[in-house]
Amino acid sequence: MKLERLLTLRSLRSRPLRLLLSLFGIVLGVAAILSISITNQTAMESVNRVFKDTSGKANLIVTSSEIDSRGFSEKILNRVASYSGVDAAVPSVQIQTILVGDAAPSQVGMSFFGMEAGGLSLYGIDPQQDPLVRSYTITSGSFLSPDQDDSAEIVLVDSYADEHDLKVGDAVEIDTEAGLEQLRLVGLIAKEGPGQINNGAFGVIPLATAQKLFYREGKVSQIDVLAVPEFSGTEALDSLRTSLQSYLGKDYSVLYPASQGQRMTQMLGSYQIGLNFLSGMALFVGAFLIYNTFSMTVVERTREFGMLRTIGMSRNQVTRQVLIEAVVLGIVGTALGIGLGVLMARGLTGVMELILGLALTDIAVPIHAVITSAVVGLAVTLIAAIIPAWQAGKISPLEALRIRASSNEGCLIRFGWIIGSILLLVSTFILIMNPFPYDVQFRVGSMVVVMLFLGGTLLIPATVSIWVRMIHPIMRLVYGNIGRLGSSNIQRSRLRTTLTVSALMVGVAMIIVVWAMTDSFKGDLDQWLKGYIGGDLYVTSSRPMGRDVWKKLESVLGVEAVTPVRYFEVDWINPSSQEERISFMAFDPASYSQVTSFIFSQADPDANGSLRAVAAGGKVLISSVIAEKYGLGVGDSINLITRVGQRPFEVAGVVVDYFNQGLVISGSWADMERHFRQHDANAFLVKITPGLERAAMRECIDQLYGKREHLTIETNQDIMGKVSTLMEQAFRMFDVLALIAMLVGFFGIVNTLTMNVIERTQEIGMLRGVGMTRGQVVRMILAEAALIGIIGGVLGLVFGVILSRIFLLAMTAMSGYKLTYLLPLQRIFLAVLLAFLVSQVAASLPAARAARIRILEAIQYE
Amino acid sequence: MPVLEARKLVKQYLLGKHQVNALSGVDFIVEAGEFVAIMGPSGSGKSTLLHLIGGLDKPSGGEVTLAGHQLSILKDKQVTQIRRRNVGFVFQFFNLLPTLTAGENITLPLLIDGKNLRKYQERLDALLELIGLTGRSRHKPDQLSGGEQQRVALARALITEPAILLADEPTGNLDSKTGTTIMELLRRSCDELGQSIVVVTHDARAASYADRVVFLRDGAIVSELYMDKSAAQGDSLRRIIDELEKLESLGAEAVQSI
Repeated sequence: MKLERLLTLRSLRSRPLRLLLSLFGIVLGVAAILSISITNQTAMESVNRVFKDTSGKANLIVTSSEIDSRGFSEKILNRVASYSGVDAAVPSVQIQTILVGDAAPSQVGMSFFGMEAGGLSLYGIDPQQDPLVRSYTITSGSFLSPDQDDSAEIVLVDSYADEHDLKVGDAVEIDTEAGLEQLRLVGLIAKEGPGQINNGAFGVIPLATAQKLFYREGKVSQIDVLAVPEFSGTEALDSLRTSLQSYLGKDYSVLYPASQGQRMTQMLGSYQIGLNFLSGMALFVGAFLIYNTFSMTVVERTREFGMLRTIGMSRNQVTRQVLIEAVVLGIVGTALGIGLGVLMARGLTGVMELILGLALTDIAVPIHAVITSAVVGLAVTLIAAIIPAWQAGKISPLEALRIRASSNEGCLIRFGWIIGSILLLVSTFILIMNPFPYDVQFRVGSMVVVMLFLGGTLLIPATVSIWVRMIHPIMRLVYGNIGRLGSSNIQRSRLRTTLTVSALMVGVAMIIVVWAMTDSFKGDLDQWLKGYIGGDLYVTSSRPMGRDVWKKLESVLGVEAVTPVRYFEVDWINPSSQEERISFMAFDPASYSQVTSFIFSQADPDANGSLRAVAAGGKVLISSVIAEKYGLGVGDSINLITRVGQRPFEVAGVVVDYFNQGLVISGSWADMERHFRQHDANAFLVKITPGLERAAMRECIDQLYGKREHLTIETNQDIMGKVSTLMEQAFRMFDVLALIAMLVGFFGIVNTLTMNVIERTQEIGMLRGVGMTRGQVVRMILAEAALIGIIGGVLGLVFGVILSRIFLLAMTAMSGYKLTYLLPLQRIFLAVLLAFLVSQVAASLPAARAARIRILEAIQYE
Repeated sequence: MPVLEARKLVKQYLLGKHQVNALSGVDFIVEAGEFVAIMGPSGSGKSTLLHLIGGLDKPSGGEVTLAGHQLSILKDKQVTQIRRRNVGFVFQFFNLLPTLTAGENITLPLLIDGKNLRKYQERLDALLELIGLTGRSRHKPDQLSGGEQQRVALARALITEPAILLADEPTGNLDSKTGTTIMELLRRSCDELGQSIVVVTHDARAASYADRVVFLRDGAIVSELYMDKSAAQGDSLRRIIDELEKLESLGAEAVQSI
């Protein structure tokens, strides 16, 4: 052990650049896995916790199955409370209002789940019972008086109070349906648990006070149910839920509190799969870098290992020596990778917050993720170092006496093309036939990807000579006669060349995938957004906006048309006979078509006909996601659950809609009012007279009605800009990973060419001796690199296109999103050019080294 | 008893498609405490012979017995062990580990053999004194001159008290003065420590330090000279040069006769 320790530490210290390169590979892989794992876990926990916190300790919640924002009768409370298995039934009224004097936010909040206009969320609660289900942490003052359920008291979150310069004892004025009301601020709570609702813009008032001020006498929004301990297990709770649902009837929904988080977690799931896949690729390229760097070290130390063999070190000792160096690097690299992973997680979490529109909890580093990353990091390091270690052990003692090193090509290089061809054929077959059901497509896609890359890699050695012949004219043109010498050199160390080309191929493929996904997604999203935002201005409010606001907006000079939109949740019986919650977008067909338009996705759409049909009532437009997922089309009937029960609606058209992951049905305003008793708009889309300035009109409307009606007005340009930014940030982490993969390809070329130069020192000396200039030596090395770059670039392009198509297909199958594949021609040229440029820059150092070789030293031989 | 015995050694290898006979049935014996030099022109097979007797390579035919061990019947691991404990090597290009100090380079074979270095401190000091580098043991190779590095290599070869020391062109990379120093050290180790030595060299002056000079040509021993230990250095050198000239003229005649 002392021998290994001595040799290991000295060897690692003496080659700082090699050390850094190897460490970089390990750190990259470990950091990628850990940061993505932490971010995923944090995001999932935060999403679940937010929804859990709002109901806190409640095991179940009871809501109305009707979508009535005014709530349901509190008479049901006693029935629930007295039901067997129920320990407590806690009522609450949930209101969205605004603090008087609080200007409407000037900007619309943005996330993947839509847009928000701020405001204050209030819960009317029973002060004695509510703490049974929600934990309030008083930080100042006191909680609501327990024996006065209609007092004019309010408790706010401390951070919100700070922002509004409020302290205990102050009078707080809120906007209610009964007018402006003053309440006394009796206490402050911490921004935790229910204090996180609406990002801290939350307060509680007595139940009766809420019912009186907001015209909800005798009504509640929700009943939180606490089950007796015997029913708190999963199975028992599920049976309680089912039996309570059946007892209460179809007018009510008995749900798990966390089910409200399902939409977000589902969205996250798709994103996370992409991230996990990319972390796997980061590990692959990291492993390549480790292999490449260790190979380099073995070549550099060939004579040293030969000498050690001569003086009695056995093959196993030499192999063990290299592996021990790998273990040391693995441990150090893993430790650094874990540190970097935690830091990267902070950055990734920031992006996740943007995507979710939610402040995430503090990053918790789960110990299992750390252990997994560490084990994977060490395992990959060892696996990557095994071949170089084995090669080191094979070094003959005679190498100590030679200047010229030799490299042996194994049978995998000679016959690997057979395995490669089989892999390519099998993966092509799977792609064409696609025999697996959609829900495993992504997994299958991943396996197909690995097989494709592996197959392509194994074919490289056998096809190198073909590539050399094909590219020879270009080489001659760019590098002259020397070019031929350089490009034919890559046929000599075929294992090394193959792996270098492969690494570059993966890097280019990843870049193509990112470009194709971004362009395809953006292309379709831009198109959809133009319709979704529509018109010129987007008007929203923290309060529901009725017909009066509609009329006011229409009356503004310069406004050509105004159309309302309202999103609310509705249950339907999907074609699989399951009850599912989706979104309903209500619109007024007449005014909608004056402001904007839908994007119909069915073949030969009759847009006007579809809108007329919807306007007539009883018909809806479904999203392409729903159509794809359930095989629905125009003329089919779907069942929505309305106030009076299930009602069939006919599908009048299929439209592109990405709201709520595409689970949205669009119907008429009249149907909304008639069947779902909703009357207010979430937003108005405003079209202004052509020629007028959008910003000026925005100012005008804001001055007239902004403060009075608590409106938030933005131009659609601004909103689309925000969405673009959101998309760019979401894809940025993919860009970073793709660039890192290219960087690894870059280092791979540097290493490979440097090894080639070392091995051919004598030969280069001879060429210089017979008259080759330094410049010609440089051109020779650059030509060798160019061929690596071109082969890697072209193969990377081919596999990148295949890979991005697989991703798109998988996304369609899993989520119903039908994206149009988009990869502009200039991107294709750019990819190959990038690979070529990377190869040239990477080759500059080894080329300079080759040019510096001294003729006499190089040609010294026995 | 001979410390090394090689009988009917044959070595053939393929150079592209051609078979090259590097050695054609060579018999070579080294007695204990003997200093033998092997000379010959390039391609004569002298280095090949050294590689075979040191267990660095396997012969195509014949047998090598080193310190009583018949190498052909042993596996690579066993040959390596024998080499570790019974053979010391000195290379033309020194081959010191650049990351180790002079002292650490010298004790490297002991470390490889799993020995407790503290027990060999005295031996190390003695060798450092022999090679004239006492006080330089902590210096790295890049802090030593070429001659000093070769002296360290020599000490490394001697630390295990090997049955035989094999040197491949030990003065090939040194100036004549430094080369002389190395050869004198080799001579001293033979005289004072009873070390058996085989040196491959094309340098007649280096060969003149040996007790016996063996001449190879075309893979076979063509001549041998026994040196008179009492003779002056210059006389020994003259005899070797004369023998080389004789062999050269014989070689030219052979070429002319083709």
